[in-house]
Amino acid sequence: MIHFDNVTKVYANQNRPALDHVSVDVEKGEFVFLVGPSGSGKSTFLRLVLKEERPNAGTIHVAGKDLSRLSNFKVPHLRRRIGCVFQDFRLLPKKNVYENVAFALEVIGKPRRFIRKVVPEVIELVGLEGKAHRMPEELSGGEQQRVAMARAFVNRPMILLADEPTGNIDPATSIGIMKVLDRINRTGTTVLMATHDAAIVDSMRKRVVELEDGKIVRDQSRGVYGQAY
Amino acid sequence: MRANFIFSEVWIGLRRNLTMTIAVIVTVAVGMALLGIGLMINSQVSTMTNYWTDKVELSVFLCQKDSAFETCKGKPTLNQTQKTQLQQTIEGLPEVAQVEYEDQKAAYENFKEQPNNKVFLTVIQASDLPDSFRVKLKDPDNSQAVVNALSGQAGIANIVNQREILDTYFGFLGKLQWMALGVAIIMVIAATLLIANTVRLSAYNRRRETGIMRLVGASNLYIQLPFVMEGVIAGLIGGVCAAVLLIITKILIFDGIQSYMAQPLGWDTLAGVITFTMVVGVVICILASFVTLRRYLRV
Ligand SMILES: Nc1ncnc2c1ncn2[C@@H]1O[C@H](COP(=O)(O)OP(=O)(O)OP(=O)(O)O)[C@@H](O)[C@H]1O
Ligand SMILES: [Mg+2]
Repeated sequence: MIHFDNVTKVYANQNRPALDHVSVDVEKGEFVFLVGPSGSGKSTFLRLVLKEERPNAGTIHVAGKDLSRLSNFKVPHLRRRIGCVFQDFRLLPKKNVYENVAFALEVIGKPRRFIRKVVPEVIELVGLEGKAHRMPEELSGGEQQRVAMARAFVNRPMILLADEPTGNIDPATSIGIMKVLDRINRTGTTVLMATHDAAIVDSMRKRVVELEDGKIVRDQSRGVYGQAY
Repeated sequence: MRANFIFSEVWIGLRRNLTMTIAVIVTVAVGMALLGIGLMINSQVSTMTNYWTDKVELSVFLCQKDSAFETCKGKPTLNQTQKTQLQQTIEGLPEVAQVEYEDQKAAYENFKEQPNNKVFLTVIQASDLPDSFRVKLKDPDNSQAVVNALSGQAGIANIVNQREILDTYFGFLGKLQWMALGVAIIMVIAATLLIANTVRLSAYNRRRETGIMRLVGASNLYIQLPFVMEGVIAGLIGGVCAAVLLIITKILIFDGIQSYMAQPLGWDTLAGVITFTMVVGVVICILASFVTLRRYLRV
């Protein structure tokens, strides 16, 4: 589903590469944790999958497509098949829960009847039934992140990228977030999650890819966060 | 594509930047009105040139009793045979197409017919107007040869080339036209900069929405359209204001000139000018928006 082959990324005005000859394969339906210290290149990895950034060397395949051959014109179609969740939720403050989720479908031109059918389903999947008409400011951090996950998943993407989704959330609430991610993963969606949260990684027992200074130093199925941190 | 979504975005954007929107509308309106006025003068000058080219003539005024002209001082006025002789001389010149004699009575009648001479009629009598020959030329550009040939002739008070009068007038209109076009260009540049600024502000105000749109895979066109539409709508409103200004200008100024210059500026010409300025205004708005968006809305 995601194939990195010798990928190197050096940002402009930066002499140290953010990713240094990274090769990794993620298969369909996998759940992968991306761990490593701050600045090790986790977010850069996720941005490369979205084609928000281009690699300086190496090739990236996502869903069978070589990203370097994908024209700018087709990038939006790639992104429709990838959902994204971030540490800072990125909700629209003037829209309620339902409207925030529906927005993702409206702007890609889905018919209204379809939107009215699937949005309530997804809101229920993330555990927010009954809160569809709340505004983001009336929700807790954990609930806001559920809205963000509902928006990321409402178009049934093949891949879900999560960049420290529990970074702003207390440990107890984080467990609920992880349950939702697990539920999404069980529908066949490949999940790639960058995190600093050792307890979560240890409890989930999923594949762990560890980055350090842009290099992969560990790739372990059913792994733990590691002792060093 | 969902039209009501885009229109609500456009409406929000226009209202959020109300002052900038008004600035854009005013500059577009003034710029396009001046461009239109330049074009109207241009079309007026060319229709008038066509109208007058085959009508201009030389007026050869003859000396009369107590004439103030230097060339007539101390000389007797021409008698009938001398006048006939002079007419034959003029007709004999190779550049001349036709000569007509206009005596005092006829001159007075002609004078009376022109509407803007009414004030003078109270003080002027037929005897105040000199006899003259109205000389039509084969080629209106070639008047100097005739003037030269006649300048030594006795009994001629002076020679007036109507074309010189018209040239002064056309020259004035020409300058007016270039001034209008020059200011129009400056206004167009100002409008472009203002639109660029408005779009940049809108893009900044809505960076959250556009960021999410990009993330969930909205097409570039879909993301950019509300911004471009903002520019287009401001441009269109400006264009309508310009059209109103142009209509007022036609009625108040051009229709006023018309009574002197015989050829009216038609509504069809005005419609053409308005359409052209509208298209120019909207195209400028679209281009300015797109160019700015490419810089401030990363895709
Ligand atoms: N837009 C950018 N321009 C220049 N350098 C960047 C940019 N984004 C990231 N970097 C650099 O690239 C390196 C990797 O950054 P990245 O954001 O991928 O790290 P990370 O593993 O996500 O860190 P964190 O855990 O703090 O989120 C860092 O050294 C960072 O300074
Ligand atoms: Mg990061």
